Amino acid sequence: MDLFAERKIYTVSELTAEIKRTLEDRYREIWVQGEISNFKHHSSGHMYFTLKDDQAQVKAACFRNSNRYLKFQPEDGLEVLIRGRISLYEPRGDYQILADYMMPVGLGSLQLAFEQLKEKLRREGLFDAVRKRSLPLLPRKIGIVTSPTGAAICDMLRILKRRNASLHVLIYPAKVQGPGAAEEIAAGVRYFNTRNDVDVVILGRGGGSMEDLWAFNEEIVARVIFKSRIPVISAVGHEVDFTIADFVADLRAPTPSAAAEMVSGAREDLRATVQSLRGRLAQAMRLQIEKRRSSLERLSRNRAFEVAPNKVRELQQRFDEATLRMTQAAMRFVTRVRHGERVLQTRLARVDLNQVIARKSNVLARLEQSLASDMRARLKAERSRLELAVGRMDALSPLAILERGYAICRDPQGTILKDATAVSRGEKVDVRLTRGTIGCLVESVEDTSGPSVASVSAPSENEVSLQGADRLARD
Amino acid sequence: METNTEMKLKDFESALKSLEEIVSQLEGGDLALDRALELFEEGVKISRFCNAKLEEAERKVEMLTRGGDGRLTETPFTAEDAGEA
Repeated sequence: MDLFAERKIYTVSELTAEIKRTLEDRYREIWVQGEISNFKHHSSGHMYFTLKDDQAQVKAACFRNSNRYLKFQPEDGLEVLIRGRISLYEPRGDYQILADYMMPVGLGSLQLAFEQLKEKLRREGLFDAVRKRSLPLLPRKIGIVTSPTGAAICDMLRILKRRNASLHVLIYPAKVQGPGAAEEIAAGVRYFNTRNDVDVVILGRGGGSMEDLWAFNEEIVARVIFKSRIPVISAVGHEVDFTIADFVADLRAPTPSAAAEMVSGAREDLRATVQSLRGRLAQAMRLQIEKRRSSLERLSRNRAFEVAPNKVRELQQRFDEATLRMTQAAMRFVTRVRHGERVLQTRLARVDLNQVIARKSNVLARLEQSLASDMRARLKAERSRLELAVGRMDALSPLAILERGYAICRDPQGTILKDATAVSRGEKVDVRLTRGTIGCLVESVEDTSGPSVASVSAPSENEVSLQGADRLARD
Repeated sequence: METNTEMKLKDFESALKSLEEIVSQLEGGDLALDRALELFEEGVKISRFCNAKLEEAERKVEMLTRGGDGRLTETPFTAEDAGEA
């Protein structure tokens, strides 16, 4: 008994309380490195997990007030460095580390947060190439979300000025770093989407550290870019800096200046494209006319037209004149437009640009108006003359007449027979049908007045009767 | 024909596309003269529209500023405003 009387006997609570005091006094602020396992993010907002290395483990917690500022998401398997204190939970006798700060080992915590968000959004399809829109060929109004006092806006405006870009630029001033920056950037994108006159949105910011550019890595910015109806160019930092915004945006510009180049580049190229299309248009029309002329020529060389050489020649001449005039009109159209533009371009050098543009488009419009109606009237007249000519030629063609069942009868010398009395019984005649010729013997000859009727028979048993051969005479 | 052209003239991109189509149709060959003329005239009309769009020049830089009523208004902005030397 004495043995015990001399010794201090603890109750469990006393012992636990003493250990708790000892531990908590001794380990007030410690740094521990280990791997996270059994990670749980409780609905209360607190985080519970185990920190371990290959031989031991210790329970850990990070309460809501501490973990809300973490940039990255702790997860199983992650090696972390924790700053905290030891605490003992008396009801269970467990001791644990209460972490007030955590950072990933290896990657910086921003880098890790970046990778984690990138992976998450990639899985959701926010970076999919298929949903990326191309920029309009000819943007007129661009919205820029950036700091109005930053280097980015200066760079962009300088490029636009140098490129002489005909653009209306709207700047939405936003903080581009620090607390609240992501929200302001997102608000800018949303604002431009409420207007219906903005063709492209640029998010711009000069270079900086990862912390400086962080706003462009925030989820809120990524989501608003994804939802944007207007194509978005992300122009953040230098070429080597990638942000989440770059991945979601329809287009990533390596620098703000490059974004300005992208929206101002195409106009001159497009001018050349339109000009060449106009040239091709006129040339194609000329060829269309040319083709008709040559097919008429081919037609007129056909032997069947020997019957009416003068008529055809006259028609062809008329056609030639018509096509010549059409061709000239088409060519004049091009020449005059080009000339007009050249003249105006030389003036452009010394006159106020806006005035010139106004005048230039006026002149062009007038020129083309008059040309178009001029052309239209002229072409219409020539077209109906042409159609008439072609129609009449068709009617004239002896081939067309043969096609209707008539035949041409010739004597052995090849002379076309128009009078039955020109042949006598027993003579040979050739009868030309639309397809092929029949050699015939004259059997009888009747009547010399009125429509002649000759009765002929083919040398074979085939009897061929031919009536009204004289109708073949030209009309 | 008229409504067709009107539809095609909504924006520069589609106008340019139809101009290209018209030109290649006309270059393609076997067309009735009537159709060829129709295409030619439409092509002229569209190319005029394209040029007009290309000449539309509005060079302006404005900043959005929030007024007392909380609404954003556009005010002229120059690079000097950006504090550039």
